[in-house]
Amino acid sequence: MGEPAPSWAEFASAFELFRDPIVCGVLAGVVLGYLGVFVVLRRMVFVTAAISQSAGLGVALAFYAQIHLGQETAHPVAGALALSVLATLLFAAQPERLRVSRESLLGLAYVAAGAAAVIVGDRITQESHDISAILFGTAVLVRPEDLRAVLGVGLFVTAVHLWWHRGFLFAAFDPDGARVHGLPVRLLDTVLWLLVALEVSVTTRALGALPVFAFAVLPAMAALMASGGLRGAFPLAALLGGIAGGAGYVLAYFLSTPVGATQVVVAASLVLLALPVRAVRGRA
Amino acid sequence: MSDAIPLARPEPTAAVLRCEGLRVGYGGTPLLPPIDVEVRAGEFWAVVGRNGSGKSTWFRTLLGLQPPVGGRIVWPSGDPRISYVPQRTGFDDLYPILARHVVAMGIDRGWSFLRPSLLRESPEVGRALGAVGAGDLADRTFRSLSEGQKQRVLLARLVVSGARLVLLDEPTAAMDVVAEAESLRMLDELRRRYGMATIVVSHYLGVARDFADRVILLDRDEQEVVVGTPREVFEHAAFRSRYGEPEDLLFHG
Repeated sequence: MGEPAPSWAEFASAFELFRDPIVCGVLAGVVLGYLGVFVVLRRMVFVTAAISQSAGLGVALAFYAQIHLGQETAHPVAGALALSVLATLLFAAQPERLRVSRESLLGLAYVAAGAAAVIVGDRITQESHDISAILFGTAVLVRPEDLRAVLGVGLFVTAVHLWWHRGFLFAAFDPDGARVHGLPVRLLDTVLWLLVALEVSVTTRALGALPVFAFAVLPAMAALMASGGLRGAFPLAALLGGIAGGAGYVLAYFLSTPVGATQVVVAASLVLLALPVRAVRGRA
Repeated sequence: MSDAIPLARPEPTAAVLRCEGLRVGYGGTPLLPPIDVEVRAGEFWAVVGRNGSGKSTWFRTLLGLQPPVGGRIVWPSGDPRISYVPQRTGFDDLYPILARHVVAMGIDRGWSFLRPSLLRESPEVGRALGAVGAGDLADRTFRSLSEGQKQRVLLARLVVSGARLVLLDEPTAAMDVVAEAESLRMLDELRRRYGMATIVVSHYLGVARDFADRVILLDRDEQEVVVGTPREVFEHAAFRSRYGEPEDLLFHG
């Protein structure tokens, strides 16, 4: 016999404990859901995975600098941001000059950063056995400074996106046409991916790599399938991302399942729910 | 079909583009001899040449998508207000973008995308769609349209762009014969109405014969650049050595 399922009364009475991670999950879901529309349309879904790994390496390097090099000021979030930006600049460069696809550069960033993080992590985990808990956050408990970072970066990323939206979209849909009209296409591309890197690095630090990857892909997939047009897809993806983040946490509490994985399952269920809507819409 | 050749040519007016000894190519190596042409407002130019002849390279150089190898491009008005219709294969069908939003993209130039207009839609978009007989397509997704309908939407985008010079790369590729003829007639009408200089790359020689004021033949293998009226170019030895004398290209009367 397992323990009896927790009740809503218990959930409400202990809500203070859950508030921060739920808010964090919803915020991350909303912003990543919105950004995910670009990620999916640009066929760059593994960008999130590559940035997460790079952010993990940045955190590991920051801890290494603190422990072994006496650099007390090396902050893990700063390390995560720095390495995410470096990885982004790598694949935002023109891979065609190297005669390789952008996808291969993503693969390089993912696997090299992952391996390096394990090697560096090995030098800083005298006490802990779980390197991933150090490099990435967990969606169960969120540190107050991580919540502040997720909120601040989320607001900043959203504001820039709403402001530059037309430019990002023109440069993505018709890059040559945009260049001919004098739009700074390379800069737009680089800023787009830097904003994704910024959001992914802070949310990965707070919630962990798995739900962040899911939020940046699945709500956008569902929204693109269910929505009749692109303008509707952005708010819908943000809404679905928020639902996955919030409902995933609550569901995990009641089902006693791991939080991050439950958030992913909720996001994946939203894609399944979008299937019949897509079928009704036909070829539009 | 000589009567298909437009009779009422617009009066040649101000030059919108001059190529002065322009060399195009890659990595400092020119593909073609120097190109000297002057394109005037309202003129319809057809670019002909076989695959690999250098058509696209010249086009991309005019568009500013690659630098010239030598010579120069002059924009007499000082403002190269160009618009471009890429080949339809350049658009990704993943994007569920509405036709009117594709047209609205034509309005933005340079950094104008920073001006907030998220919730407001320019009335020019509806007018432009109406002008190309595509008002009923405004709320359809671009990807769900037929090739002919897509072409109309892209022509509406040219209209809202206010371009002085428009360049179209194989605009009728993948169209059936009826849609192709209709699209070209519409393009011809738009350049007359709005005075846009128009340069079209096409494999279809009928474009040059039926619509063009001027034709430029590019031939990388023979290192030839021939510029002239359709008749002058079709009767040129370089053209004949490539295309022969197909009966349907002859001018009658």
